Amino acid sequence: MKEHAHNCPGSMMMDRRKDSDAAEAGTGKVRSQLQQWPIQLHLIGPTAPYYQGADVLLVADCVAYALGGFHPEYLKGKSIAIACPKLDEGQDVYVEKIKAWIDDAKINTLTVMIMEVPCCMGLSAIAERALAAASRKVPVKRIVVGLDGEIRKEEWL
Amino acid sequence: MDKIMRGRIKELIARHPKVGDALAEFGVACVTCAVGTCLLKDILEIHHLSPEDEQRMLTRIAEIVYPNRQVVIPLRKSQPEQKTGKLINSPPLLKLVAEHAMIKRVLARIPDMLRKLDLDTVEGRQLALASVDFIRSFADKYHHAKEEDILFKCFDGNLDIIKVMLDDHETGRAHVRAIREAVERRDTVAAVKHLKGYQKLLMEHIRKEDEVLYPWMDRQLSVTQIGRLFSEFAAADAPLAETRRRSEEFISMLEQRFGDAEPGQSR
Repeated sequence: MKEHAHNCPGSMMMDRRKDSDAAEAGTGKVRSQLQQWPIQLHLIGPTAPYYQGADVLLVADCVAYALGGFHPEYLKGKSIAIACPKLDEGQDVYVEKIKAWIDDAKINTLTVMIMEVPCCMGLSAIAERALAAASRKVPVKRIVVGLDGEIRKEEWL
Repeated sequence: MDKIMRGRIKELIARHPKVGDALAEFGVACVTCAVGTCLLKDILEIHHLSPEDEQRMLTRIAEIVYPNRQVVIPLRKSQPEQKTGKLINSPPLLKLVAEHAMIKRVLARIPDMLRKLDLDTVEGRQLALASVDFIRSFADKYHHAKEEDILFKCFDGNLDIIKVMLDDHETGRAHVRAIREAVERRDTVAAVKHLKGYQKLLMEHIRKEDEVLYPWMDRQLSVTQIGRLFSEFAAADAPLAETRRRSEEFISMLEQRFGDAEPGQSR
C-alpha cells in the first residue's frame, strides 16, 4: 500500500491496488438489501413508513464502498440514510431529521457507520446532537470502518 | 474429547476433581456453582475465553481425564469479536449493571448492620424490615423482574445458565421470607443467619451476571433485540419511579449510618 503525504487524512491519497488484488473477491451476484428510496439524508422523509419503529443505519457516503459485505452484513433488514459530514451543506437539517426519526418515527435503534478518517466523526456528532435534543431515547451504535474495509471499532454510545 | 465436551461439568468434576482446579485457573467457577448441569461445550461458549486460553484449558482437562493418551483438542469456530474493549456494552445491559451497583452498596453494609442488629428494639425491627422492603421492591420487583419477564425471554429458558440464575432468585426469595418471619418472632439469630445468606448469595449471583452471563448475552443479542430491550426496560421502570427514589434514599441512609464499605465490597 502506497501512502502520499497530504495535510488532511480524509483526502490523503492511498494506492491499495496490490492489497485489493490479493484479497479474495466474492463470486456470483450479491443480492441488494436496499428496501427503500431515496436514501440521501436531504432527500428522505424521516417519517416514511420504512422508518417507523425501524433499526436505522446512518451511513457516511464512503462506507458502502470500503466495506465489502455492506449489503448482507449491515444493510439487511435495516432502513438507511446516507450523508457526508465533510462535504454536505445544511447539516442543521440533518439534526432535525434524525430527531424526527427518534421522536416521530419512533425508530428502534440508530447505527451510525463512519470511516476512520477524523472528519467522519462529524456524522456521529450530528447524531449525538439529535439524540440530546430528542424527547425519546434510543440506543445509538457507532461502527468505525477502516480504509482497508475492516471494522476498527463497534460500540454503543 | 467429544464425549467430555458433551458431558455435564459437575459429573466430570465429581469423577476428576482436578478438572475443577483447571477450570478455576481460567476464571471458570463451576466448582462453586449449585447446579452444574452445564455441558463443557456450552461453558466454553459462555465464558468466551481467548482461543489460546481455551486450548490451554482443554489441554489441561484432557491431561487430567486421559493421563496416558495423546488427545486431539478440537478447534472451535471463533465467535465474532465485539471491538469495544468492554465486556458489556449495550445500553440495556449496562442499565442492569448499574442497578447491580446499587444493590451491592446495600450488600456491602450488611455485615456492619448485622453486628448491631437487635430485634428486641423497635429501631432494630424497623431496620430489618426496611432492608426486606429494599430487597423486595428494588432488587426483586424493580431489577429481577426485568430479567425474568423481559431479558431472559430473549433466550432459551432451558439453558442451564438461565436456570442457575432463576434458581438463585428463588433461593433469595426464600431468604427474604425467612428474614421477615424472624423479625415477626423477634428472632435476631435467625434474621442474622438469613441476611448473611442473602448477602453471600447475591454477591456471587451479581458477580456471575456481570462477569459471565451479561457479557455472553451482549454478544448474542441482535441490534433489533437491544432496541426492544431498551424500550421494554423503560416501560417497566416508568411506573416504579417512586420505588427507585425510595431505594436511593434507603441506600443513602444506610451509608450515612454504617459508613464506608469494607475492603473488597466495593460500591
